[in-house]
Amino acid sequence: MESQLETDNFWNRSSRAAFSFDDDDDIDAVGASDFTKWDNNAIFNDDTISEASFDNSVGSLNLSIKSIITDEALKLVLQEQTLDDCVVCKGVTPEEELRLLRRQIQNTLYSPSPEATAVKLLQGKTVSLEVFKSLHEKQQLLDTLLQNGGGDAVIGVLLFLKRTLNANQFHSILQRRPKALEHYLSYLRQAGELNSCLDLLQRFGRSQEAALLQFQAAMSCNELVIRKQQLQRLVDAYANAGVGIIPLHEQIFHAALKLQLLVERERGSGLGKQLSDHATPVEVLYACCQINNNWKEQDMLKLISPQRFSADQQISAAQYEWTALNERARAQAYADLEAIFERVPTWNPIKSKQFHISFDLALAVQRLYELKAPPTVLQMFLSKMNNNSDKLRLAQRVKCTKAIIDAMVGLKQVQELQILKDTLAERSDDQFYCENAIKGLQTKRWTTDNIKLKL
Amino acid sequence: MDLTLTLDKKLQGFQLIAQEKLQAILCSIPGKKELILEPALIKPLEHVCTASWLKLKGIQRIYKHDAKQCIPRVDDQVHIYMIRSTLSTFQALLSQLQATATPTDVASDVLKMYGRNDAETSIQVTAYHIICVPSCYAYFQTLLEQSGLWGLVQLHHYNWDFIYLDQGVLSMELPNVFECLYLQQNTSPLPALAQSLRILQILCGRPELVVTFGNHSTQLLKMLQTLGDWPSPAKSEIGAIIIVDRDKDYASSLLTPAIYSGLLLEVFQQRAGEIIIDNTTNKIRSQKLQVLDLKTESTGSTAAPAKASSIRMNSACDEIYGDNRYKHFSQASSLVRAQAKALGLEVQKLSDMKLDEMHDYVARKLPKITEMKAKVLRHLNASEIVIEMLAGNFRKVQSLEEDILNNVSRKRLLSEIDELLITDGQRFNTLRLLCLLHLCAGILPEELQTFARNYCNLFGHQELVVFQQLAQAGLLPPLLPDKDKGQRAPTKLLSNLPLPKFKQTEFQANANRLKLLVSCADGDIDGADGHAESKQASQQACPSFVFNGTYIPLVAQFCSILLKSNSADELANKLSMVEGVQLHLNKSPPLTPKAYATQFKSHSCKSQTDLLPLRLRNLFVFVVGGSTYAEVGACDFVSKLMGAQITVASDTLFAGSDLIANAFPK
Repeated sequence: MESQLETDNFWNRSSRAAFSFDDDDDIDAVGASDFTKWDNNAIFNDDTISEASFDNSVGSLNLSIKSIITDEALKLVLQEQTLDDCVVCKGVTPEEELRLLRRQIQNTLYSPSPEATAVKLLQGKTVSLEVFKSLHEKQQLLDTLLQNGGGDAVIGVLLFLKRTLNANQFHSILQRRPKALEHYLSYLRQAGELNSCLDLLQRFGRSQEAALLQFQAAMSCNELVIRKQQLQRLVDAYANAGVGIIPLHEQIFHAALKLQLLVERERGSGLGKQLSDHATPVEVLYACCQINNNWKEQDMLKLISPQRFSADQQISAAQYEWTALNERARAQAYADLEAIFERVPTWNPIKSKQFHISFDLALAVQRLYELKAPPTVLQMFLSKMNNNSDKLRLAQRVKCTKAIIDAMVGLKQVQELQILKDTLAERSDDQFYCENAIKGLQTKRWTTDNIKLKL
Repeated sequence: MDLTLTLDKKLQGFQLIAQEKLQAILCSIPGKKELILEPALIKPLEHVCTASWLKLKGIQRIYKHDAKQCIPRVDDQVHIYMIRSTLSTFQALLSQLQATATPTDVASDVLKMYGRNDAETSIQVTAYHIICVPSCYAYFQTLLEQSGLWGLVQLHHYNWDFIYLDQGVLSMELPNVFECLYLQQNTSPLPALAQSLRILQILCGRPELVVTFGNHSTQLLKMLQTLGDWPSPAKSEIGAIIIVDRDKDYASSLLTPAIYSGLLLEVFQQRAGEIIIDNTTNKIRSQKLQVLDLKTESTGSTAAPAKASSIRMNSACDEIYGDNRYKHFSQASSLVRAQAKALGLEVQKLSDMKLDEMHDYVARKLPKITEMKAKVLRHLNASEIVIEMLAGNFRKVQSLEEDILNNVSRKRLLSEIDELLITDGQRFNTLRLLCLLHLCAGILPEELQTFARNYCNLFGHQELVVFQQLAQAGLLPPLLPDKDKGQRAPTKLLSNLPLPKFKQTEFQANANRLKLLVSCADGDIDGADGHAESKQASQQACPSFVFNGTYIPLVAQFCSILLKSNSADELANKLSMVEGVQLHLNKSPPLTPKAYATQFKSHSCKSQTDLLPLRLRNLFVFVVGGSTYAEVGACDFVSKLMGAQITVASDTLFAGSDLIANAFPK
């Protein structure tokens, strides 16, 4: 028991089983079993830290409080820490006590100066605001605090004003003090008083923020039906509010609603089962890719075919390609990759489909390699690279022998090819490929470079 | 008072004051006390006291607070809750107490306990106490009253001030200051910071000079004056205090550091100067979308419950950390590797020994070596995870950051950030690059729109709010409604004209004035040849090494300017171009550096002597809203170069991703 105490491992108990200092306490039994539980839960395990680490307490620090601070200063520090300074301490003279009490009475009968109140609030003392009766006094107090007080005091006074002034007065005070409004809004947001916050934002013409807040509230709603309803209401209201729209916000509100409707529709199907309630568009796309079984000709009428979904959600081409690449490679359906990266060139729709990729080809190769794609797939992608020296470097990195050979052929590195050939396994596929490449290079030497048999 | 104490020892003394303060609260509460701690407070509290200390102060049991279940209270027990002073936590706790401590039963408990039958014996024992860290907000009392718990629950506030994490590094361990001040525009955390700075001066004396840069910093100083005079030792131990707002130098928190301690924080979760090394999850991995992360499967199959270890980022506890903390990561990791190898050889020696030698060895040397080995292995493991997590894109991100700083071809930078988002999207880090780009080059709302669209597709529509939050802090441009397209057309036309734009962002202007951007100036002078070498050389002699020689953290530059200046005039020359810097001398109203210098010239009075050069070369740097290890490292470098001592303190120490994470709804 004692040793446990020393190592301070006791912190690591669960909340139910407390650490008890008494040896005979029966809670201890629970504690012991709990302790082992936490022991396995590696996060809380401290024993890797040397014991010394916790000995920065008084002993090893080799300091005494007296050596660093005077008694008088320490007394001041401790006294400032108390919330209530109305307590009459022991051992004061009767005159002193009378003075203190008189001051207290004064503080409850007459309003103290705003400055004095501000200082007390800054120190964190409990201050009664009830004595600030007139509007002028109230405003003065607030202004003093806005000048040199902490935000908590400002909020405290605002709450008091809200209670003691009618709505008109309160709002006009906020109107003229943007800083105070900011504090009050911050308070309402933290307190989760959504409706008051929305009301205030609308009142002060900050409808964009209000819309965002509503959106946030809708999205954090766990009940899917309610979430959908709230989004629907927001989308309608936003379009008709007449306060101008931020295109991004409008797009996202729409997209969120659309996604919601789709998830609701597909709830019973295979897609719905794979998704959490808070799935992001790309996660849904990933799931769509998983259940899609026709990559050559995607059915654009089906909402959950990957391409249709991407179009609906305005998922960029690069994002679509990257997600599909990851999903297909993980499913080891490498044959589908070609269909993903094929596109009919827009400038000439009659022409056949061409390879097209929306992000750095090297990244695709690297990722495929990391996902353990076979060399033939890597070679296919590497073959689309134009720069041979880049191709060679990348091919070497992903250990794709055929692509290395291709690149070397492109660079006409016959000697290197010879060396490479000797390192390859005897009679292997790669070696034949290499031999052929060398032959090809050597015979090609006699043809004119200008005439290429590529048509 | 012992004057022989070094400044470092005195700063460690904050712990003793924190203990005194806690003791004062605990001892003011009578009864059988049980302490219920918010889990996040445990680690920092370990820096204040131990469990045995708490026992001495009458705490019988310690629980972890759980918002879901309440701890049952026996009649004669007093429950002391300790929570952070955030409104949501406080409200949750109040409603929890409301449910359990219905006034009637508590009142009857009290009555029973003291056999109180008549009104005369009015002994009141409060059964519940809430200690708010670091301050009990003024309106908490109101909320307490409203929830009907007034009189049943007593509130306290407790501020442990600065926690000494490492030599030259202090933290207040208040994680939500940045969010409050810069994202919500709510200045509630400031009084606590002011109180701690006051205690610093009670402890170490009043410096002759305080330099502030930024609104919150100036406000802090004002509060310090409002709080009134304080007794302080006659001889000050601090030459000057420099207080800087985080938003005056976002770049230092957004750039990826190149030093060991900085990168550890990039990857591992830090709490009160301790990082947790968990093989299964870390900060980088948790930022990625799971379906697109490579590692998800492999960790699933190797489901061996790897034991998490931790590293204390304190040079006194961990000499390996102490040796490497501010070294370039590649250097540090190779040193750790070499050390591991050397230890391996040491153990091999054992087999060549004679029996009696072996006895001696096992008895004396082996325990030390095993302990050392455990430490080295921990660092080895940590640096390997860092490399695994960052290596893929490290170079790419580094050169991207350098180009962003120097504003090289914006179009390409934008598309590269977009590509990073798609192929290696990290919830916070990708956004962080965009913020850096906005800071250095400014991005247009239309550009933000495209990025945000892709971002929301990847991480979910609900993240839309984040962009507004970051705009609040000036990290992104605000999105404005296009109310009237007709009105906007002319301005658009103007911006479309292919005229060269000389508009600088505020960041660029200040960075140029203070010569913070190192890499571009370098390139201009040396030209192409020998660029790499000169860069290497300049890196070793410049605090910008913390960012691979691209940027000097503002606070480090401030320190070196202050330490270098020999007269008020010189200081004014260097700082006057930067708007918002204020000098606060003893009790006089704040001055700009220029006004201070002219004051000297005009008066030429003998009564007042120039404060510069600083007589005491101990500087105390305080960053309002979180500091980074890159800043600490750079200041450490400056202090060694100038033969000074610089202590960096802040409300928290974080990495850039933590700063961005503040903008996300919790």
